[in-house]
Amino acid sequence: MKSSLLLLLCLLSAVSFAQERLIILNEGTWQADNGRVTYFEDGEIVSNQWFREKNGFKIGDTPNDIIMVNPDLIAIAVNWSNIVQFMTPDGTAVTATEDIPNNRKLCSDGRYVYVTSYAHECETTKGLKSFERGFVAKIDVESFSVIDATEVGYEPEGIALYKGHLFVANTGGYAFEEGHDHETTVSILDAESMEVVNTIDTHQINLFGKMSQSGRFLCINSPGDYYEVPAACIILDCDEALDGNLTGCFTRLDYAATYNCTMTDGRFMAIGSRFSFYTNEYTFDYNIIDPEKVMLSHGEDGIEAINIGSVLPDLMSMSSPYGIYVNPYSGFIYATDAGAFAAAGELYQWSPDGTLLGRHKVYINPAHFLALPPSSTDNIRNISGADNLSDGYAYDLLGRRLTKPSGIFIRNGRLNVLQTTINH
Amino acid sequence: MQGATLQALSTTSVADALKYFAGVQIKDYGGLGGLKTINVRSLGAQHVGIYLDGIRITNAQNGTVDLGKFSLSSMESVSLYNANKLSACQSANEYASGATVYMRTRRPTKDSLDVQLRVASFSTYMAKANVQFNHNGWCGFIDGEWTKSRGNYPFRYHTEFEDTTGRRANSDIRYGRIEAALFHGGFASHVYYYDSNRGCPGGIVRRLSDKYINVGREWDHDFFLQASYHKVFADQHNVKLNSKYTNERLRYCTDYPENQNTARVNNHYRQDDIYASLCYAFTRWDWLSLSSSYDYRWTRLKADLKKFDDVIRRDQKQVFALQANYLGLQAAASILHQHYHDDTFANVGAANPLDRWTPSFSLAYSLDNLTLRTWYKKIFRAPTLNDLYYTQVGNRNLKPEYTKQLNIGAEYHFASSRFAASVQADIYQNKIENRIVCLPLKGTYTWTMMNYGYTFCRGLNATAKGQYALHDDWQLSLISSLTLQRDVNRSDPDDEDTYDKPICYSPRLSTNLTGIIAWRSLQLTTSYIYVGERMWSYADPEDILRPYHNVDTKLTYNHRIDKVSAGLCLEICDLFDEQYEHLPRYPMPGRNYKLTFVFGI
Repeated sequence: MKSSLLLLLCLLSAVSFAQERLIILNEGTWQADNGRVTYFEDGEIVSNQWFREKNGFKIGDTPNDIIMVNPDLIAIAVNWSNIVQFMTPDGTAVTATEDIPNNRKLCSDGRYVYVTSYAHECETTKGLKSFERGFVAKIDVESFSVIDATEVGYEPEGIALYKGHLFVANTGGYAFEEGHDHETTVSILDAESMEVVNTIDTHQINLFGKMSQSGRFLCINSPGDYYEVPAACIILDCDEALDGNLTGCFTRLDYAATYNCTMTDGRFMAIGSRFSFYTNEYTFDYNIIDPEKVMLSHGEDGIEAINIGSVLPDLMSMSSPYGIYVNPYSGFIYATDAGAFAAAGELYQWSPDGTLLGRHKVYINPAHFLALPPSSTDNIRNISGADNLSDGYAYDLLGRRLTKPSGIFIRNGRLNVLQTTINH
Repeated sequence: MQGATLQALSTTSVADALKYFAGVQIKDYGGLGGLKTINVRSLGAQHVGIYLDGIRITNAQNGTVDLGKFSLSSMESVSLYNANKLSACQSANEYASGATVYMRTRRPTKDSLDVQLRVASFSTYMAKANVQFNHNGWCGFIDGEWTKSRGNYPFRYHTEFEDTTGRRANSDIRYGRIEAALFHGGFASHVYYYDSNRGCPGGIVRRLSDKYINVGREWDHDFFLQASYHKVFADQHNVKLNSKYTNERLRYCTDYPENQNTARVNNHYRQDDIYASLCYAFTRWDWLSLSSSYDYRWTRLKADLKKFDDVIRRDQKQVFALQANYLGLQAAASILHQHYHDDTFANVGAANPLDRWTPSFSLAYSLDNLTLRTWYKKIFRAPTLNDLYYTQVGNRNLKPEYTKQLNIGAEYHFASSRFAASVQADIYQNKIENRIVCLPLKGTYTWTMMNYGYTFCRGLNATAKGQYALHDDWQLSLISSLTLQRDVNRSDPDDEDTYDKPICYSPRLSTNLTGIIAWRSLQLTTSYIYVGERMWSYADPEDILRPYHNVDTKLTYNHRIDKVSAGLCLEICDLFDEQYEHLPRYPMPGRNYKLTFVFGI
């Protein structure tokens, strides 16, 4: 038993299979129908038009978010095409629905996909629902039909699922064009009943952009209004919010978090700039945010400048940073530079310690990322001389590369428990 | 281009006529209602000044004029000048644009009434009437038109990754136009009113059905009244007075249930514009004339946008010009002073006043039928009120966008009793600095107007025309033009993807050829246009607009009995039904027909 376990562990850690697998959405140019999907594997762009090559048709106009629904399914919100596109992890289109026009961001529990939308009507299995403000729709991925939709605030954007509840950031982003003002709230919905159970007022307007989630914490960006109200960032503790502490469940930080992501150690990485049309001046922020420390200290502690290898100087040298991401399976760091906007953007890749590994041409406005799990056991081959083939990284028992190993993990073909090496 | 040629070409508006000129690139969003602007020698639409009888048609809001709004039926001629036009007494405004389109109204010589009725593809109906008179030195006309079109033309995209067919939605238009002019000696006046209601269709993008379309609608009400007076005192003092009042109202609405993709907008914009100029030229000697002009323009823009308040712009221009003519040598020089001053109650505040001097020079030599010419002009366009103040986009720190143009050309004329021909060719070099463009603000989610970019352009324009009267019954004419141009992006030397690469939407080669055959009262016109490949992004070599060939043909028959004439005209546009675009995903209509009945006394 002992020896067979050792053999298995050796195999898991030592075989060479596709480790870094990343899908990138290029938003393209608005109304030019040139959204594109890039597939990147182990340091190389496999294709910058992956979706159309796999399926013979185009993804549509302005793909805006991508998530893994379950190991066999990916969902993509294609905003200007009014489509939620489903595909398998190998890029094959499954189906698409257009019952959620003006869709924005996605989250999922594996069985249902929840979608925010700026629109005012939604075709559901319960009939056509109309709303004055925006809504959240619920798609059943067995039937791919919209089974429910619930009104939230105006122009709801980021969405996250925590303990059976949906946290939805409202923007009121059409405030300059419509009669209403910007929103300052996060709506909490019961994911099963799709009822709004509570609303948090953050007193910070326009909670716009992708939101990042790390366990119980959310990182929510606010660009402000580019006039009086400067950009800010909200760190929200979902447990506190579910406990009913609606005024104490968040901390507002005076930093822009235009592009943010979750790191493998549970902290957030956030970059962005604060700009005002009154002064025409920018302040750039490049931060790593420890949400636990931020919540405990009310924002006094837990924020530091990005200090991972060359990541910060590389980000600062970009002409237009357009997205950042950390591969949750490996800790590899990615960012995109939209460059001249009518030209191809670039993908930057760093190792977990911040060494720039490469820059790759993608397409116009590369903005959204999804890492696929390393291709797993089906690639296991019998090999010998495992020690020589080891790559020196730590892996968990599912074969996923770890940056900050803890608990039980495997390195160099050996099982490690809590920093203590056990020799079998 | 003169009246007879204008009428012979398959044209419905001034925009259609201008596509036959060398160096002109048309931007057309498709259909009768689609915005049509022109760009000359890659300068950009906002550097092209459009003048009606010497007075500029302006739009302070965005700086471009929709040429679809102007009819050819009352025009004597439409001309394009790249250099400054040379005439004795010109307003400072006429020196103030990179390229100049002159529309000249026809002065009637007799009393007449003409009526046109048209039916055309895509449920298009048009009725037009023109009354002219000429009595006791007073002449004038009233011209009215009413047009309605569904504009639901079919289109097809057939590539490796799609086979999309459909009909253009929300591309309808209904407009009415009435204008009148009155002339007496040196006095000229013109009043114009245009009223339209149109759909603004978006780009053709992937959709699963037509359930949601991006309906936006636009209503325009444009009015202007202009008058000018020109008199020569004591054979040497030329005085010209120009004045104009313009009122333009625009409403844009997207609040429709079929539109779920954008904010529910219902905005109103209003521009009032008062213009006056006084020009004086001293022409004491045959060989030299000196002139000067002072122009004043007051513009106010109102809009019910948030974070926006009324903007008032005061624009003053002075020009000093001299022209010398000596033994076939013609020299001209001018210096233009422009001063812009804006006031606004908007919280962002007004831009700093703009004060600039710009020169132009030209030299020409004529020997018999041959003319050699060269000219240089430096001019800028001031940022428009949208560029500076539009909510969440405007940037009041913008600098003016400069153009520097250098041109060398030659022209040759030949005429005999039956044959007339002319050939001209120009080579040119343009530099455009501080282009005003909309770019994303780094690290934010918003876009703003910025000065970014430098364009370098070299090209050749050539035009050839010939006319031959075979015998009394037959007339043949041939008009052709060619533009060969290389314009490159010189914005960022560190960006190898864009530096020294062609400017988007600009073709290397475009050419056209028009033949007109007339036999008694029957006339056949066929025109061919070729526009070469244009790229529309630097991201992928596949991001190109394919070259297109466009053949239009028009057959006219007119029958006259005494003073009454009646005629029929059949036009087929895009004879070979070629699918093409000026902007990606904005298809043009393809083959379409027009049948017009004409009646006149």
